[in-house]
Amino acid sequence: MKQRIERFTSTERIAHWMVALSFLYSALTGLALWSHRMFWLAAVFGGGETVRGWHPIGGIVFALLLAFIFRNWAAQMKLDADDRRWLAVSHKYAMNQEEGVPAAGRFNAGQKMLFWLQSSSALLLFASGLVLWFPEWMPRGLRLAAVLLHPVAAVASIGGIIVHIYMTTLVVPGALRAMARGWVTPRWAASHHAKWYRDLDRR
Amino acid sequence: MIETVAKLVDTTLCIGCKACEVACQEWNDQEFTTGVFRNTYQTLPDLAPNFWNLIKFSEHDINGEQHWLMAKYQCMHCADAGCIKACPAPGAIVRRPNGIVDFVHENCIGCGYCITGCPFDVPRLSPKTRKVYKCTLCSDRVAAGLEPACIKTCPTNCLTFGSRNDLKFLAEKRAEELRKDGLANAGVYDGPGVGGTNVLYVLKHADRPQDYGLPKDPRIPWTVSLWKGPLKWLGNTVFFGGLLAALVHYIKVGPKEAHDEAEN
Ligand code: HEM
Ligand code: SF4
Ligand code: SF4
Repeated sequence: MKQRIERFTSTERIAHWMVALSFLYSALTGLALWSHRMFWLAAVFGGGETVRGWHPIGGIVFALLLAFIFRNWAAQMKLDADDRRWLAVSHKYAMNQEEGVPAAGRFNAGQKMLFWLQSSSALLLFASGLVLWFPEWMPRGLRLAAVLLHPVAAVASIGGIIVHIYMTTLVVPGALRAMARGWVTPRWAASHHAKWYRDLDRR
Repeated sequence: MIETVAKLVDTTLCIGCKACEVACQEWNDQEFTTGVFRNTYQTLPDLAPNFWNLIKFSEHDINGEQHWLMAKYQCMHCADAGCIKACPAPGAIVRRPNGIVDFVHENCIGCGYCITGCPFDVPRLSPKTRKVYKCTLCSDRVAAGLEPACIKTCPTNCLTFGSRNDLKFLAEKRAEELRKDGLANAGVYDGPGVGGTNVLYVLKHADRPQDYGLPKDPRIPWTVSLWKGPLKWLGNTVFFGGLLAALVHYIKVGPKEAHDEAEN
């Protein structure tokens, strides 16, 4: 049997897929209201009134799950000197020219940036979402800010997720299996997360 | 072409009798609410889901003179309506060919965006039905050739209904008369910042509409315009650009060939 390294614990994996599902639901029901041309999405999710009622609840579930993930991962997501150099040559990483791209730890700098992008936009979505949820109780100034900030944060996070899904399903073979089943091969670890692999070895 | 209809409120003739408030609730079959007593005539403090026509009473010291101002307050039926701009549900707010802005409750999802889009703070969300309500300019009566209930009931000629062009002419003439009578600041209030409203006011103090409880320079809020304009373009660029970029990347660059295949 080939060797397996645990990359994600079952807690991490369950939390990840739950946050993914709640995000997908929030994003698609939110996008129904993005433009009249997308309103057909509302019909898919049970009609306009259902979307209006359940989108915020899906959003709250998403925010709570993300808070849980944040607590688990924030410490590992700090950018170090290697990460800064990684970001400086990230175009090379994107073009699959791996020479000169610094070795990555458990998460590479791109993943760390995604983490911070999702965390900050979730905070913004949560705060502005509460304002949009109960317009009748909110002062006008807050509502005027929320109608702008909520979709701004939604665009940022959906943009991030498009890149994330593309990378993990099509660009990095093995990444999806790592998040689904939890394990990677030593060669996978050595080639995509060399620093992490080295540190595992030392233990 | 169907003429744009409007109502004219000549505040100099309003006696604050609130007959229009009652007529509005009667015709639209709305439940009456118990008023509040705060030592003023303002026994109903604000518009409500079941209360679409409010007389605002305000007292102001203007150039050392005490003034008791009254102004009818309701949906202004804006030409460039912030509520329509903000609404995400197709067909929930419509502009009738005669210029009336009407809420169509079957299509309303109750998000309340229109409340934020409206520069006059008019729509009210009902906690019971989760729909928004406001003055319809009696679109049902107007369609049947009648004048709105408030106009019909007004005992003083303060309210007039008709074609917007005619009323605009009348309003300007009335303001001119008032200026001749020594009210130097008399003028017409009709919201040029929202392309003109289909409720026109003659004000003694047209230089200070805020004293009547009317916004000084009503405009669709800039955050709403930004949200419904440039942000949609930016967002669509991100969504569709992102998908397109992924496709192009996959074709031109492709996967990081797993240094891993042997073990897969
Ligand atoms: C964190 C908790 C969240 C809350 C409380 C919340 C609440 C709301 C509310 C109340 C609305 C107005 C209409 C409706 O009820 O459907 C709305 C719209 C929207 N939401 Fe959320 N939301 C949250 C999270 C999210 C997330 C995670 C996304 C996905 C990226 C998202 C994307 C959107 C979009 C795109 C709109 C429409 C914006 C527009 O009209 O331009 N929301 N949200
Ligand atoms: S006053 Fe408000 S509710 Fe009425 S048409 Fe103008 S924007 Fe819409
Ligand atoms: S509350 Fe109804 S009318 Fe107002 S913006 Fe939302 S869907 Fe449109």
